[in-house]
Amino acid sequence: MGIRQTLDNLEPHFHKGGKYEQFYPLYEAVDTIFYTPPSVAKTTAHVRDGIDLKRIMITVWLCTFPAMFFGMWNAGWQANMAIADGFGAAGGWREAIIMTLAGGHDPGSLWSNFLLGATYFLPIYLVTFVVGGFWEVLFAIKRGHEVNEGFFVTSVLYALILPATIPLWQVALGITFGVVIGKEIFGGTGKNFLNPALTGRAFLYFAYPAQLSGDSVWVAADGYTGATALSTAFQSGMSSLTEKFSWWDAFLGFIPGSVGETSTLAILIGAAVLLWTKIASWRIMLGVFLGMVVTSGLFNLMGSDTNPMFAMPWYWHLVVGGFAFGMVFMATDPVSASMTQQGRLIFGALIGVMTVLIRVVNPAFPEGIMLAILFANLFAPLIDHFFVQANIKRRERRTGDPVGENA
Amino acid sequence: MAQSNNSIKKILTVAFALCIVCSIIVSTAAVALRSKQQLNQELDRKTNILKVADLYEPGDDVAEEFQKVTPKVVDLRTGEYTDEFDPSSYSGFEAARDPAQSRTLSGEKDIAGLSRQENYSTVYLVGDPQDPDQLIVPIRGQGLWGLMRGYLAVEGNGNTIVGITYYSHSETPGLGAKVDTTQWKSKWEGKKIYSESDDVEPDIELVKGGATKKTEVDALSGATLTSNGVTDMLEFWLGPEGFGPFLAKFRSGIDQEAVNTASADETEGV
Amino acid sequence: MSEPNAKSVLTTPIFKNNPIALQILGICSALAVTSSMSVSLVMSLAVIFVTAFSNFFVSLIRHHIPSSIRIIVQMTIIASLVIVVDQILKAYAYEMSKQLSVFVGLIITNCIVMGRAEGFAMTNSPGMSLLDGIGNGIGYGFILMTVGFFRELFGSGTVFGLTVFETVSNGGWYLPNGLMLLPPSAFFIIGLIIWVLRAINPEQIEENEFEMKANSQPKEAV
Repeated sequence: MGIRQTLDNLEPHFHKGGKYEQFYPLYEAVDTIFYTPPSVAKTTAHVRDGIDLKRIMITVWLCTFPAMFFGMWNAGWQANMAIADGFGAAGGWREAIIMTLAGGHDPGSLWSNFLLGATYFLPIYLVTFVVGGFWEVLFAIKRGHEVNEGFFVTSVLYALILPATIPLWQVALGITFGVVIGKEIFGGTGKNFLNPALTGRAFLYFAYPAQLSGDSVWVAADGYTGATALSTAFQSGMSSLTEKFSWWDAFLGFIPGSVGETSTLAILIGAAVLLWTKIASWRIMLGVFLGMVVTSGLFNLMGSDTNPMFAMPWYWHLVVGGFAFGMVFMATDPVSASMTQQGRLIFGALIGVMTVLIRVVNPAFPEGIMLAILFANLFAPLIDHFFVQANIKRRERRTGDPVGENA
Repeated sequence: MAQSNNSIKKILTVAFALCIVCSIIVSTAAVALRSKQQLNQELDRKTNILKVADLYEPGDDVAEEFQKVTPKVVDLRTGEYTDEFDPSSYSGFEAARDPAQSRTLSGEKDIAGLSRQENYSTVYLVGDPQDPDQLIVPIRGQGLWGLMRGYLAVEGNGNTIVGITYYSHSETPGLGAKVDTTQWKSKWEGKKIYSESDDVEPDIELVKGGATKKTEVDALSGATLTSNGVTDMLEFWLGPEGFGPFLAKFRSGIDQEAVNTASADETEGV
Repeated sequence: MSEPNAKSVLTTPIFKNNPIALQILGICSALAVTSSMSVSLVMSLAVIFVTAFSNFFVSLIRHHIPSSIRIIVQMTIIASLVIVVDQILKAYAYEMSKQLSVFVGLIITNCIVMGRAEGFAMTNSPGMSLLDGIGNGIGYGFILMTVGFFRELFGSGTVFGLTVFETVSNGGWYLPNGLMLLPPSAFFIIGLIIWVLRAINPEQIEENEFEMKANSQPKEAV
């Protein structure tokens, strides 16, 4: 057990009085990646479970893998297709790597596609991790608590919802905003009422709209412009959307879009694991889904001559844009979502309804899931409040005594 | 003292005295400064007009430059000048709110989202009023978030665009608000409103992904709805409902007599 | 407060008892007019003028204001001053007044002006009230200018209209941050200013409304 020994040898330096006392959070973070924390419940009054926060977070992280790997391939495929059509490659160091390792831009080659996508996604992820991690550690040291595992997930989710061609300094700025304003200002993991990954993304969305939306950002080829499926429908209606992409294309993910958001199938694989391990709340996912289905159904029934988005059916809403990703990974964030069981359904439904409302009715933004989730985050405590109060009242009626008075 | 302060008589006296004093101060300020304010408004309007005609450089004397510009009131229905109103004080924007001087636009015709349109509007002629170098027409219409108001300057041939400017809008900063940037406005110079000189409907429009024709201008990237608003308001104001008949007179040729009859025919045809 | 001295009356509202950062008053105009520094400056001057003179006049007639209509009396004085300011701006700074649009008029509803008239001028001498008004106006202006500085610098790359960062659209390197041009960004900046001010003056931090269990300390983990 080399690792354990090394860690144990190092440990005293990080304790009170040790050389690196103030860096204890860093030590703790590394230690618990490999081993269960030593401070476990020992007496009978506790529920004992092999799982802890870090294992949960790592599971969520692993669940994003299908979407992540498919996303890298797809980003590369989209770019290689464009390059095959005569658009220039992006050039620079990325081009050098691709030429060395894959030898060309062949959209038929799995490896070439994957590599091209990776040269875009991995730097984004790396920057997210380093910059976000820096703030995380800084606050942990300053406040004397451990580095929270939540960032592990935040960083990967944040990286996955960015377009591949985003400049890296914007990635750094966004995650800084997400971690500092979205989380640390309120006291760190567990006390944030907004999803930090989405807060960072929203910041970029409003700060640099031209880089985060529009037609030219999605495909990593020089000068190539291609709208996402959602903005195609938004601008020219359902018929031109179905002309361009089939539903299966969108479901499987062969469409331009943010790295991790394109493949609904890959996201659903992750969702299955999250639901099976009971890490994510099925109530939230169900709520989001039903809210979306009902609202889009209503708009379908209403119809509109001027707004083509009215005609988009629910099964298209599901597969375009970031809906699936938001529903599975963002809405289910245990910190910023509702805590009560019934509240989760309402919370989810609110997201579903708002997403479709923003997508269909709002003239400015084609995508709505990000804003809808942030909006619902704000309401989560209120929703919980009502259900908690209702419970207290019900108990009071039954026992004639408010909770806690007798306990 | 507190007691005497709260007697009815005292309350009334204080209230009355205060009202008198304050109203004197306020009305003095308002009356004394009014002429100066009107001058400012006038100057602001003139500056905008000069800017669109490309006649304004910062530091220029606006009043002097404006000597080159002759305002005229035009009957939008016929395209003829009218002497019914004083061009320097008439405001089409305000007339549009007066039922006697305006008309309601029905749904299909109201592409610019105005709901009411004035019957007469002011145009500005640069150079010799008989044979102007430039025609400047006011335009307005709905953008993404609200009404956008501006001017369009057209060369004396009634077809070639000199420039466009928006002096009041509420579009998104960084996206739609780029209607206000010199970079985008410079793309308008030399564009044509109509592809054929006898067209009635204007062809000028904003297109995404690079303008290729003379009647196309690059759309604002990332601001589809603002761009659509601009296209719509140009289609409206340069079409038969707007300044179409007026511009037609200039497009048809130099022979003024022939122009008048031709334009009359054309309006009837519409 | 019983015996205010001139210096403290003038300076405490700037950092120690800032009307925006501590009392959280007058936020709305701070959001609306701070997208450029010159507009913020004019707005600050207008507010300084109105607060100073409304304080002065209210204090001058404070012994004659019947308590039953005192709010109305204060309101009338404030409103008159604001209208005068508005008229002057329209006459002598037309461009500015166009950009400030309704927000000059809305100084009437700015809680700082009313709050100082009611809270200070009604019980203090005219001279002190004048200083207090100026001090609070400066406190307001300080925040406005700071917010305006960051919003204009990062939103347009300029300070007082002078280019500091050459923007990409003008051939430079700086990509303007669009969020900074939107009013909500002022919220973030004011929040950060409050954070800084409270880090400097810890006594400004409010007490917790409830006790929260401390995080596990590294020391415990031994």
